[in-house]
Amino acid sequence: MEVAAFYGFSALAILAALFILFSKNLIYGAFALLLAFLGIAALFVLAGADFLGVAQIMIYVGGILVLLMFGIMLTQRAIQQEGPSRHNRVEVPITRKVWGFVIGIGIVGVLAKIIFSANFRMSGDAVSRKSTIKTIGVELMTSHLLPFEIAAILLLVALIGAAYLALNRNPAQ
Amino acid sequence: MYPIVLLSFFGIVTLFLGFSKSKNILLPATLLFLIIALAGNFLEWNKGPLLYFYDMLRVDNVTLAFNGIILLSAFMIFAISGGFQDNPDSEPAEYFGLMLFSLVGALMMVGFQHLIMLFIGVEILSVAMYVLTGSNKRNLRSNEAALKYFLMGAFATGFMLFGITLLYGATGSFKLEQIQGFASNMQVGSESYILYAGLLLLLIGMLFKVSAAPFHFWTPDVYEGAPTIFTTFMSTVVKTAGFAALFRLLSGSFTGVYGFWWIVIAAIAVLTLLVGNIGATSQNSFKRMLAYSGISHAGYLLIALTALSKPSQNAIIFYSLAYSLSTICAFGVLMLVSKEKTIGGQPNEYYDAFNGLAKQNPLLAFVLTVSMLSLAGIPLTAGFWGKFFIFTSAAERGIIWITVIAVLMSTVGIYYYFRVIISSYLKEGDLVKIRVAPFYKVILVLATFLTILFGLAPGIFEGLI
Repeated sequence: MEVAAFYGFSALAILAALFILFSKNLIYGAFALLLAFLGIAALFVLAGADFLGVAQIMIYVGGILVLLMFGIMLTQRAIQQEGPSRHNRVEVPITRKVWGFVIGIGIVGVLAKIIFSANFRMSGDAVSRKSTIKTIGVELMTSHLLPFEIAAILLLVALIGAAYLALNRNPAQ
Repeated sequence: MYPIVLLSFFGIVTLFLGFSKSKNILLPATLLFLIIALAGNFLEWNKGPLLYFYDMLRVDNVTLAFNGIILLSAFMIFAISGGFQDNPDSEPAEYFGLMLFSLVGALMMVGFQHLIMLFIGVEILSVAMYVLTGSNKRNLRSNEAALKYFLMGAFATGFMLFGITLLYGATGSFKLEQIQGFASNMQVGSESYILYAGLLLLLIGMLFKVSAAPFHFWTPDVYEGAPTIFTTFMSTVVKTAGFAALFRLLSGSFTGVYGFWWIVIAAIAVLTLLVGNIGATSQNSFKRMLAYSGISHAGYLLIALTALSKPSQNAIIFYSLAYSLSTICAFGVLMLVSKEKTIGGQPNEYYDAFNGLAKQNPLLAFVLTVSMLSLAGIPLTAGFWGKFFIFTSAAERGIIWITVIAVLMSTVGIYYYFRVIISSYLKEGDLVKIRVAPFYKVILVLATFLTILFGLAPGIFEGLI
């Protein structure tokens, strides 16, 4: 049962990712991305990382994907001459196909070699099938307190930066 | 440890100070904050290696020395910014706040003992720099530079994070000591390729941040487009922090696999030296030349990393200090001179802006000359001893060929560094006397004095670290 679910969700994520690669329509690509994110979230849950799965859905599906959709809609350019099917199309001329192919195959080969020869180590004992949320909370407040606190500085910097860059104090313009 | 906490707090205080009507209080306040942070930094001098917060941060004399260089450069840069009073569009409170926060990131990169700390430190520093690069919102070049820096930087961060996850997969830990333990106990024949891949990806991310070739493409455009004061910050503080982080990473975790990475770093060092020095010769803009010169100095520092020994640690510290002092002088003079004449509303940053500088402004010409001599590595300046220490550390390791290439490349450097000296002394120009604020003058003279002092007595701090 678990094995079937694993392969099912993996296939979902991989097929969705391939669809993004070959689709020329941005909106279709964004919806396929939704499926890929859901597949990966399901894989996290299957691996016993329930918190990661929920976080994946909340952040990527709930936040980033919506932002992406808004981005596509706000930057849309009306094309008068052609029909509506031409909207949202990505026109990327592909040049140097041979080199791209060689490099792509090379990277896949190297990564495959690394992953198949990897001897993954467990850090600590295997976690029992309970929720991981409690452990994460305790760790964040004890041994990982400093990164947790300093991450606030990072968020503050990003907030100030966004506000500063977006603000227009010059009334003349 | 203290400066990280203090500067986080002071950054927030600075933002609140921005509410006051008068912006005059900001500059003295931030300078005071930096002095307090410097004092707090050296409180822990010679207290031995201390570990804080469940081994997240390590404080030893090397960390404190790097922190000292970063805070001193930041102090000088804040001082010559003049509180951004000359530009009515600027928002000094936000600038100072962002710079103080970015210093927190830089100090975390120097003292990290856990890869999460490295990642958050790099991100704080980078996000603040993306914003400051684009802070001149009315200037198209500045916007372009910020966008380029942001996109390329985000890409490099992805590499770095991927590398960190692979390292975690290989070793089961984010802590430097445990990675070190795993890397030095690897048996021949059963090496962990995933560790090598993780290390390479992590190195790519870090080398991007210090603008080493072939990850340097963003540097000239970003350095040229950013407001000069932030370019100074980028080329001193960011570079020092990046090399401190690289040094800590390689010496703290990967001495066991030295045979694997030294040749990678050596190849990148040679490439960086070639690209930086040869690229700099064909520039007409002084600011762009300094960007390429920054690339080439990254190459010299990488040579010290390939050697990785006790002398190379001191060499990196000395070189960072010498390079930061001279760079601050060079950009400081550029800021004054470029404002005299404008091209299309923007400051003139070409070589010809310096024509005839010495006639009316002998002090500025002298400061510029000393900083150029130091960057070129002429004897009796700090830059000479910096290069000397780096070359000897490489020679002690037995890596002679790389030293030969570096010496050849530093003679190329003399050509483009001397062009601006020739412009300011020998060429005719109509530069009038430039008004320099007294405090600005003090900072420039202090940096020049230190450059000459370290040039005459390089062993002043010997034996301290």
